[in-house]
Amino acid sequence: MEAIACRGLTKQYGSVIAVDNLDLFVEQGSVFGFLGPNGAGKTTTVRLLVGLSQPTVGQASIMGERVRINSVHLRNRIGYLPEEPSFYNWMTGRDFLLYVGELFRLPSHENRKRCDEMLEFAGLKDAAKRKIGGYSKGMRQRLGLAQAMMNRPGVLFLDEPCSALDPIGRREVLDAIIKLKSHTTIFMSTHILSDVERTCDTVGIIDKGRLVIQESTNRLRERFASPVFELEVEGDASPLAARLRSLPWVTAVEEAGRDAGAMLRIRTDDVAVAKRELPGIVSDSGLVLIRYELISPSLEDVFIQMIGAREKV
Amino acid sequence: MKGFLVLFKKELREQAKTHRLLIVLAVFLVLGMGTPLMLYYLPSIVNTSEGTQLPIPDFTAADVSMEFLGSIAQIGMVVVILVAMGAVSRERERGTALLTLSKPVGRGTFVVAKLAALAVTFEISLIVSALFCYIYVGVLFDGVGGAAFAAATALAGLFLLLCISITLLCSSIFKSAFAAGGAALVVIVVLWALSAIPNIGSYAPMGVLDWGNGLILGKGTGAWGSLCISAGLAVAFIVGAWQALMRKEI
Repeated sequence: MEAIACRGLTKQYGSVIAVDNLDLFVEQGSVFGFLGPNGAGKTTTVRLLVGLSQPTVGQASIMGERVRINSVHLRNRIGYLPEEPSFYNWMTGRDFLLYVGELFRLPSHENRKRCDEMLEFAGLKDAAKRKIGGYSKGMRQRLGLAQAMMNRPGVLFLDEPCSALDPIGRREVLDAIIKLKSHTTIFMSTHILSDVERTCDTVGIIDKGRLVIQESTNRLRERFASPVFELEVEGDASPLAARLRSLPWVTAVEEAGRDAGAMLRIRTDDVAVAKRELPGIVSDSGLVLIRYELISPSLEDVFIQMIGAREKV
Repeated sequence: MKGFLVLFKKELREQAKTHRLLIVLAVFLVLGMGTPLMLYYLPSIVNTSEGTQLPIPDFTAADVSMEFLGSIAQIGMVVVILVAMGAVSRERERGTALLTLSKPVGRGTFVVAKLAALAVTFEISLIVSALFCYIYVGVLFDGVGGAAFAAATALAGLFLLLCISITLLCSSIFKSAFAAGGAALVVIVVLWALSAIPNIGSYAPMGVLDWGNGLILGKGTGAWGSLCISAGLAVAFIVGAWQALMRKEI
């Protein structure tokens, strides 16, 4: 059974279509990265999926249960972390988790036990009795993650969990998400590609409210991003770059200067030929080869390629 | 009403932690103790200067009691608006409502818990201040009938409950607390103005305050129509607040 299924999900605000006829299916147990530039419709989609917003058209279901606005029953089975979670600053971290546990009607002893587990998981045990008003952004985000996990949800929705964090805070939150991988299905919206590469096994790319593609992270790289050869040479690489551009199996050559030489990034549509021919061509050029590397495509390459292609349309 | 008790407890704790409970109680206590004291000492305060002798009427216990309940209605209304105007709107504006409403609690429960907590705060403050006023009136003046005073206080309590429900409705409609407060003030003033219109006036919600005064003076008839309309409107405004919140994007 799919953990999340959307059929024709559409949300319109006046003349603006925030989410446009979205068909999306997420397998149970997967970590799904919902990727898109700012304003693509990610947050609106998450809000529709957790029942905080009413779709204009279409429907969604979570673990087979149809999402309705104010669907109290469904909320027992999901966890949700908004983009920048706001807490009652007069509460301590422990108070807040106990409050959330009570909202989920956890029995008192179980609530305290789960609260301690989640404080430990979020690395907030030492700050448990401090008021949330004094927490750093990273601590608040980890508390947000902990509160979303209090009810052991079947599906966890994370809306831009790292966007407002510094590199250390980001790493802490991503580590926490990775720890959750084996416990629940995770739906994570983000515009940070490296976060998706690090945590997600499936990716959906959304742009202007429309789903551009949905694929496993690895297959997406294989399908859409051609490998790149990186050459670092000593001396003037311009003649070499010109020669490479003239070859039929080379699709693009980017040239960047270095201290005493140059770096070339060569894209090709025939990796086998490139592997065979490139070393000889460099040797013939008379330049000193410092580095020769075949770079695997990153999700960033795919993302830029796909969103860029749509921009041109 | 799943989660009502959890939310109700949280609201009461919030009022205590943010000192709102204390402020409301303090304001009402000042009115409860201050009104009889001020009216008792007013003639001597005004006529302390040599040569000035202003004609100050002798206040009776009924005058003082009515003055106290009048102050409760006017100042209490302002305090209700100030305390309740951000109850829903500020939670939406700050985003705290987002975390709570993504849990298994209904939006109706969210509103009713706020109403209940505010009602407890204001009604307890009213009862405490009325008790002090009753004691002071008994000591400084010739006393007032206990049953009549209690009934008049209960009617003032109903009026405050109506003000709370109006403010919660406005707070659910507007995202800005100030806009909610302004709108609530306008609605209450309009309802107050209705009570001055002949024929309609006896059914206007504010008629309950006149009924309270009548009870203290020992004359006048019961404004049951006004009481039913006040109670009905309070319920209608809360249902309206729930429905307004249901239609909002959180």
